Amino acid sequence: MLKKLGLYALLLIGQHCILQTDAVAAVRDFTLHIDNGDLTITGAGGTTLSVWGYGQTAGLPIVPAPTLTVNEGDTVNVTVYNHRRVQHNFVVQSVTTDTNPIAPGGSKVYSFTAPTAGSYLYSDTLNNTINREMGMHGAFIVRPADNGNTAWSGGPAYDHERTWVISDMDKPRWNDVASTGGTVNTSVYKPNYFMINGLGGFDAMMDHGTMIMGMMDEVTLVRIVNAGQFSHSLHFHGNHFQVININGVRQPVPFEEWDTINVPPMSVAEVLYTVNQTGEYPMHIHTAQAETANGVYLNGGATMIMMH
Amino acid sequence: MKKITSILLAVCGLCAPSLFAATINKTYCVGSLSKTLSGQSVNFWGFSDCGGGGGMMGGGGMGGMGSATAPGPLLEIGAGDTLNLTLNVNMMTPQESSPYNGHTIHLHGADVQTSEDGVPETNGNTVTGDTYTWSPSAGHEGAYPYHCHVHTVKHLEMGMYGAVIVRPRDASGNFLNRLNQNAATAYDYSQVYVLSTVDQAYHSASGDSTVFADYNPQYFLVGGKEGKTTSAPAQTLSAAKNKKVAFRLIGMHSTNSTFQIKDGSGNVKPFTVYIRDGRALPTPKTVNSVDISPGQRADLIVTLPSTTGTWYPQVVYKKLRDNAPYATVYGKITF
Repeated sequence: MLKKLGLYALLLIGQHCILQTDAVAAVRDFTLHIDNGDLTITGAGGTTLSVWGYGQTAGLPIVPAPTLTVNEGDTVNVTVYNHRRVQHNFVVQSVTTDTNPIAPGGSKVYSFTAPTAGSYLYSDTLNNTINREMGMHGAFIVRPADNGNTAWSGGPAYDHERTWVISDMDKPRWNDVASTGGTVNTSVYKPNYFMINGLGGFDAMMDHGTMIMGMMDEVTLVRIVNAGQFSHSLHFHGNHFQVININGVRQPVPFEEWDTINVPPMSVAEVLYTVNQTGEYPMHIHTAQAETANGVYLNGGATMIMMH
Repeated sequence: MKKITSILLAVCGLCAPSLFAATINKTYCVGSLSKTLSGQSVNFWGFSDCGGGGGMMGGGGMGGMGSATAPGPLLEIGAGDTLNLTLNVNMMTPQESSPYNGHTIHLHGADVQTSEDGVPETNGNTVTGDTYTWSPSAGHEGAYPYHCHVHTVKHLEMGMYGAVIVRPRDASGNFLNRLNQNAATAYDYSQVYVLSTVDQAYHSASGDSTVFADYNPQYFLVGGKEGKTTSAPAQTLSAAKNKKVAFRLIGMHSTNSTFQIKDGSGNVKPFTVYIRDGRALPTPKTVNSVDISPGQRADLIVTLPSTTGTWYPQVVYKKLRDNAPYATVYGKITF
């Protein structure tokens, strides 16, 4: 009923609806601190990777960086402190344009208006992808202006929402070298760790913030953000999904239904997965080594789908 | 009540084109085989059809006796049919040691119940033989892979994959030469292109070896063959002018890839994609190329010209990092 009324209002207001939402838009302030840190992949094949990251607390970077969630039309202020001894930056892909560095020990405030509802990737774009690979990447999520459970205003509705930040890291040739002040040969990249939300598969398959979980007929919006350098081909067991958005392009209705989606580096996709039977199913990257943590099967890019 | 009515309507609507439903019983075994790729002998594991009856001796002999192929046998079933696919794992079956012993069959994209899904981590580690049942619905016609889901990083690479084509039937139960019930998808010839890549190191490594942390494919296949030049194509089709050829592209590789059709001068020939991942596209797409990533499928149709000639369907395998090409594998159609 609420949805119907909203649609009616939208039709009435027409062109002016954007102004209407601006009138109620909020100011969202975020603070990020750039520091050295560690990322531990637990279980067989796991390790502790030296990383550089953004965190909400000084000295406590996390990988991936905090997910920043706002509503369409909000005024967003992100204050970024660089506690490292080299230059860094903060760029929301397709949203912000300032790629200038934040000086070592310095800070910068990025102010912008939240763009159209969707999923975006933010990262440090400096240092020939090394900074991004070292962990300086995260998701920027824009919900519709009314903060409702639709992918965008007038878009498809959902019951649950997941954000999957996909990443890959080459420990011996990149993380070990960059973290000790060495020069990374960026022409060679052989990642041996593959993560969803910074987790190896053994953790991601039990992480309630990553797994798809639902009851019959419930719909999960999955926001897939590939911050890695490899294309990742994600295969969902149990049911097909609807492809609703690829790199900000809303797909025509009716949506195509696939069971495998390829998400290239620095690309974003949004899919809807509906529970249509009970059971437990994996979701995993279908590419040989990306299923592993340094060769250990299933501790790579994998999670679970629990349908009850 | 409303729900029941709509379900009844949906069921009747879907049933209308074909009331025929077959039960197809197959038994597959697993065997070793070797292929000579670019002059090198590479060991594979593949599936073989070892009889419809099941049981240890199958009827076609036990696994490991040399009849296996990679890709495995082509399975064709009708929408609405019931497939009972039994995997025979016996003392002759090539396999890894625990915890990656045994094999399964995963009907990729079939969206079957957990117990039929062939994933040992969710099916109670049933890896010593099982029967996998699937009844694809009307509207789910198209190309699917089946593959082993035990230690997939190795077993898929070893060659344990094949194609299941779900076809539409007419009211008498005969397969229609269409991609699905849509008459616009009629074709005269069908070509199944199973895409795969080979890193020989994965074939000799086992268990949780660090070999599996890095993939360096040396061989690039379509239908299990190299097809490195237009004069030595992986698959050939002798067709007639003006006819339509269906391609079933099935991605069992571990790289990026792009499929195109070119004539002898390199001119690109457009084709129409009707189905992705076993689901009809709401709007079919006429394109010059289609990307197939690991696990994806596309069912498409190309119309041959009115004059005699030769075309070369081809797959370019590309690196996951930057899409730089590894190699091109050629097919061939003469008409």
